[in-house]
Amino acid sequence: MFRAPLSPRRAAGGALGLAALLLLTGCSAPDAAPANSGPVTGGTLTYASGDAEPTCLDPHVGGNYPQALISTQYLESLVSKNADGEIIPWLATEWAEAEDGLSWTFTLRDDVMFTDGTPLDAEAVRANIAHLQDPETLSSTGYLALGKVTSTEAVDPSTVRVLLSEPDSALLESLSQPWLAIQSPTAIARGMDENCASPVGTGPFVVEEWNRQNSITLVRNEDYTSPPADAEHDGPAYLERIVWRFLPDSASRYAALQAGEVDMIDNAQPDTIVQAAQDDALEELDAPRPGASNRLELNSGKPPFDDVRVREAFIRSVNVDDAVEGLFFGTAERSYSPLSSVEPLAVGDESLFGFDPEAGAALLDEAGWSERDAEGYRVREGQRLTLRLPVSTNQSIPAEQSLFEQVQATARDAGFEIVLEPLDLSSWYGALAANEYDLVSAPYTKVGPDVLRILYHSDGTTPAPSGYFANHAQVRNPELDAILTEAGQVSDPDRRAELYAEAQRIVLEGFYILPLYDQQNTYLLRSDVRGVRALPTVSAPTLYDAWLDR
Amino acid sequence: MTTDRAPVGVPFRFARWLLVRSAGALFVLWAVATLTFFAIRLIPGDPAEAILGGPGSQASDEALAAVRAEYGLDQPLAVQYLAALGRLATGDLGTSYSLRTSVSTLLAEQLPGTMLLAALSLSVAWMLALALATWSTRGGRVPAAVGAGLEVVAAALPHFWIAIVLILVFSTGLGWFPPISTAGPAGLVLPVVTLALPLAGFLGSIMRESLLDALEAPFALSARARGESELGVRLVHALRHAALPAIGLSGWAFGFLISGAVVVETIFARPGLGRTLLTAVTARDIPLVIGVVLVVAAAYIVLTVLTDAASRLADPRLRAA
Repeated sequence: MFRAPLSPRRAAGGALGLAALLLLTGCSAPDAAPANSGPVTGGTLTYASGDAEPTCLDPHVGGNYPQALISTQYLESLVSKNADGEIIPWLATEWAEAEDGLSWTFTLRDDVMFTDGTPLDAEAVRANIAHLQDPETLSSTGYLALGKVTSTEAVDPSTVRVLLSEPDSALLESLSQPWLAIQSPTAIARGMDENCASPVGTGPFVVEEWNRQNSITLVRNEDYTSPPADAEHDGPAYLERIVWRFLPDSASRYAALQAGEVDMIDNAQPDTIVQAAQDDALEELDAPRPGASNRLELNSGKPPFDDVRVREAFIRSVNVDDAVEGLFFGTAERSYSPLSSVEPLAVGDESLFGFDPEAGAALLDEAGWSERDAEGYRVREGQRLTLRLPVSTNQSIPAEQSLFEQVQATARDAGFEIVLEPLDLSSWYGALAANEYDLVSAPYTKVGPDVLRILYHSDGTTPAPSGYFANHAQVRNPELDAILTEAGQVSDPDRRAELYAEAQRIVLEGFYILPLYDQQNTYLLRSDVRGVRALPTVSAPTLYDAWLDR
Repeated sequence: MTTDRAPVGVPFRFARWLLVRSAGALFVLWAVATLTFFAIRLIPGDPAEAILGGPGSQASDEALAAVRAEYGLDQPLAVQYLAALGRLATGDLGTSYSLRTSVSTLLAEQLPGTMLLAALSLSVAWMLALALATWSTRGGRVPAAVGAGLEVVAAALPHFWIAIVLILVFSTGLGWFPPISTAGPAGLVLPVVTLALPLAGFLGSIMRESLLDALEAPFALSARARGESELGVRLVHALRHAALPAIGLSGWAFGFLISGAVVVETIFARPGLGRTLLTAVTARDIPLVIGVVLVVAAAYIVLTVLTDAASRLADPRLRAA
């Protein structure tokens, strides 16, 4: 209303401001040398998360990554995973699979108490599995991971038996996830609202206060006795307190870290990772998430991608390497596999994903998309070669959204019209459920290669408006189904590796996906914060060994 | 009594005014709640998915069905609307889907922060605008041009840009203020300035124009003729005149500040209504969105009444009417 069209002046102001900021950001003093020779007890660590604030602090409810990040500080699982990818003891000391594969027996530690005084025993584990499987709990991730579990028996106080409908080679990996952590059955019995606000576990910290839309305060568990087998020390944590804040804006999150207002941030963006590398006061912790790689999935369930030639043509026509290099400043490594590089069984094949526009053009001609319209797009029988790509602005970081724009630009040269549709999470789910997409990028975090069954078994293809489906590429291949089912059951590790390699080969050679890079998961911390590591399960950080060197 | 109107006339007129005003306010609140309800439901996407599926998770059929049943999302839209309206009519704002807490408790927690931010920003904007307007109308081409230029630039700057530049300069660069909200007042400085700058641009340009008009007006001339100092003319006579349109705009300015609060509270990580609204819309959290919007609308109505009253105080012509 009073806004004059004065864009040149506005632009000049912008340029001036940018110049000032370039001058100012260059200067930040590096921190001094280490102040202490060994771990120091005490102090408060402020963690700033860029993820959404969880709506419930009990990761059994729903089950997403923001919950995993924080609950790793106060809840613990039956087993964990070490840096070599082996399952290691945590709350369970031993486990054994029955001959027939239809039950597993776990031996629990007998000296562990939940922070409300309830003992950790077989009955507690049974109650947790029942809680996860109860539809009233609204569990998604944990519920799906326990799909083959029919019941649980407390054999004696420290022995629990899990009964299965069919052998489950992924059971240990599933149980290592923070979404299946073991909570106090007394606390669970308080009901969902209370347990969401103050879940009770066996972990090194305890939820003290949740100040909604602002911060969560955790305090040290003074009686802590149950670190995972690969922890650096025993006994209580070093830190006295953790303040967990939510700073959704990536620029102010990084500024807060630089200013020392916070000690650690997650969701570091490529530009800040590069900046931090040159700042002695900051350190980087790069921990790619397990499960699937970030990839574009080609919807093979409808035209034009129901034709493998068109899928291959698309993959040959887009220049992903240059875009990744240019937009991620070397912080992301290109992937050629459906699985994350942290998965020991991941198989990739670079030769299938070379940028070759000529081969792409030949394939399109062969598939009948030989004409071009006035705007240069390929057409067949009057139909333009249009691809819809709904982009979840909650899940795709800005660099990835720019990457899709570059994919759009290079595909245009080949005659593909890509329509990018930026959507919030709920609308994005809606577009997928309505089958209104040809391309989509949907991250999926899970421990172990069994994620392939969720993503590519034909059971996951029905896009009903209400239904759960993760097979966005809509792969319906009976041979692949059989391989994935068998791989989910065999207990012989070699046979399992062989089957998953075969499954990945089918997915890659069918040109159902265009792998991009691992699910980026970089933490930045002040250099005087020591001992922080990411748990090799889902790469959430653990602050149990952390201490402040100041 | 009907024959003797004069003694009851004034209170009666006031009562009628109050009644009309209240009915109007109720209508506005109803319209706001209705529009909000349908706007949220018309955005594509399933609220149940939004409630369950955070980034990277996939909700199971069973969980989705349970959520729909729990929140009545499986009912026809008209039934959901009437249920929501019935609840609101009894003063119950309901329970937030996404935060699992009563909406009124959440609003009570989040309201003070935003109101403080808005009030401070409005005051700072007024001070900046007044200072700039008085300075730039002192005569001379340079102050006039600089004043006009600053106002237009300030008014055109988007909040997110100002916020990032302020953080980079005063926090990362100079280290004077924290880049995120802190317990002390220092954390308020950058958010307040971010919100106040564009508003000061708007208010300033209106004030400057009416101040110029007022200084040319006959009453200013006669005041000067009575021997008042130039400063006296400005402060006592002209500024009062010049403030009128800006006072009238303060109601609008409040709306502007609330929309700015969405951005500012997110960037500076301040708890408040703006950030709550953003989370609520993303989560399709209808009770919470309606709660926030109703509170803002109610505040807007109260503020409009107050600006009316302030205009009457500043302008005797309105009092007579």
